Amino acid sequence: MSDCSNLVEKVIEGDWKEIGKLTQDEIDCGTKPEEIISQLQHGMEVVGEKYSTGEYFLPDMMKSARCMSLAFEVLKPVVEGGSFGKLGKVVIGTVKSDMHDIGKNIVTGFLKGVGFEVIDLGADVSEDRFAEEVMRHQPDILGLSSLLTTTMHQIGVVIKKLEETGLRSRVKVIAGGAPVTQKFALSMGADAYAEDGGEAVKICKQLVKQS
Amino acid sequence: MTMTQKQRILDVIAGKEVDKLPFGARIDVWYNYHAAHDSLPAKYKGWSQTDIIADQGAAAQKRHFSICKEEYHDMEVIKRQDPPYEVTEFITPLGTCSISLLWSVAEGPWLAYEHQKLFKRPEDYPIVKYILEHTVPVFDEQYTKEREDMGERGIVMTGTGLWGPSQRVMREIMGYELFYNEYMDRPEKVDELMEAMMNLERKKLDIAIKSDIEIINLCANWSDDIHTPVFKQYFTPWFREANAKIHEASKFSMVHADGEMRRLIPLFPDALIDVAEAVTPAPQTKCTMTEFRRMGDHVTLWGGIPSIMFEPYVTNDEFDEFIKGLFKEMKPGYRLIVGMGDNLPVAADINRVGRVVELIEKYGRLPIE
Repeated sequence: MSDCSNLVEKVIEGDWKEIGKLTQDEIDCGTKPEEIISQLQHGMEVVGEKYSTGEYFLPDMMKSARCMSLAFEVLKPVVEGGSFGKLGKVVIGTVKSDMHDIGKNIVTGFLKGVGFEVIDLGADVSEDRFAEEVMRHQPDILGLSSLLTTTMHQIGVVIKKLEETGLRSRVKVIAGGAPVTQKFALSMGADAYAEDGGEAVKICKQLVKQS
Repeated sequence: MTMTQKQRILDVIAGKEVDKLPFGARIDVWYNYHAAHDSLPAKYKGWSQTDIIADQGAAAQKRHFSICKEEYHDMEVIKRQDPPYEVTEFITPLGTCSISLLWSVAEGPWLAYEHQKLFKRPEDYPIVKYILEHTVPVFDEQYTKEREDMGERGIVMTGTGLWGPSQRVMREIMGYELFYNEYMDRPEKVDELMEAMMNLERKKLDIAIKSDIEIINLCANWSDDIHTPVFKQYFTPWFREANAKIHEASKFSMVHADGEMRRLIPLFPDALIDVAEAVTPAPQTKCTMTEFRRMGDHVTLWGGIPSIMFEPYVTNDEFDEFIKGLFKEMKPGYRLIVGMGDNLPVAADINRVGRVVELIEKYGRLPIE
């Protein structure tokens, strides 16, 4: 048994090259898969904090996400149900007429990395589709991303659609994106706003506790 | 004689003293949407965007993608409509690559978004390189027409293209995530593509320098979490090379800097850029204008008013206070052109453009004390 400190360090450093082997070593020496996952996710949380404070950049996050993905590939056969999402379920997408997906993908990477199950609807998602997917997946949280002033009002359109279809009370809504501010997100009816991927992790954890 | 809008802008960039802050306004997102939906204010129905800006009393900035058009040699290029997408196939002796664009001008944006990028997999390296090596830029006569239409009322904002060579590879050709995956896995191939793109952009720069354009746009659309790690490697050398030629020709360089910029600001002085346009401070980004000023005393900042300040949820009083605060923060006000970061939003009241002009008359006389 070990404390997986080597694995955690590799995730934080984004050193993916030996992560698969190190994960297998941990399994072979008897560390419980749940413990390995928990430690890996802790590493990803540290990456999120470093991203939020400006110490880390997109490629740092991508390297760490690659570590998580490679480690999970090794863990999949030994984890019951093959699922790593325990913290809660998030449906996420970029709103209608907005093709930008990098911010949404960063948030998705962090949320998955720390243990959320994330259903990514992609970009240019209509309010009808958001409502359908909330109905289908029953998520704890709906994440709405917008990168343009021309599309940010669509956040309010989606929330209105959730109200019309009786889904609003069942899901917490978090919004973000370049032109979106806390004031604007709340004025559109969102429950929360996140400035970046690292902050999204903290806020989604809080939202899950509230729901 | 009264100074024209264009001359006031050029004088500020040249470091000369002018009477008041210039205001170069950009409204194409607002204009495209309302013109397409027949919802322009009654007074402005049938007007051009430059006429509207002039009527509001501001200098106009009109976007033109590039001073060059691209011609493709020794390959077959087939363009077809696949609504809502426009697909272009490049059939080369080494294989075929395609790009899928989504145009949504009627919803505001002035340019297409790459729905599917040209580069999709490692096998595409030789094909994309071939396309770049067999692309020949030629002067775009449409620029001359735009320039004549604009006259002294403002600036036609253009240059070698919207993006510089490295940004073209990162944003347009690959997309940021695929770029960084390739940068991790096949850095030498990425370098080859960068070099091929650089050679193409050098030809465009030569055309721009020989033209009558005064300010040459060199790049756009950065975010410090994406671009900082490779800025010194891929961006700075190009800017230094381009600016040496631009300055020798007594012209100015410009970049469109409307994203999160804090970690890129310290890298600016080495890049020798003259104008940072569309600078967007808080609350739309994390940066203050004082931080933007650290790009260098020689850099003219063009911007300062985030687009969201024009949104209806910002009251008129809040808007006025923001503008007055901007002037106060930037006193004495040299090397500053007031502008949007980066556009007038669809929901905005056009008269806030005129309001900025009024506030400049009252509080933006130079030097600001």
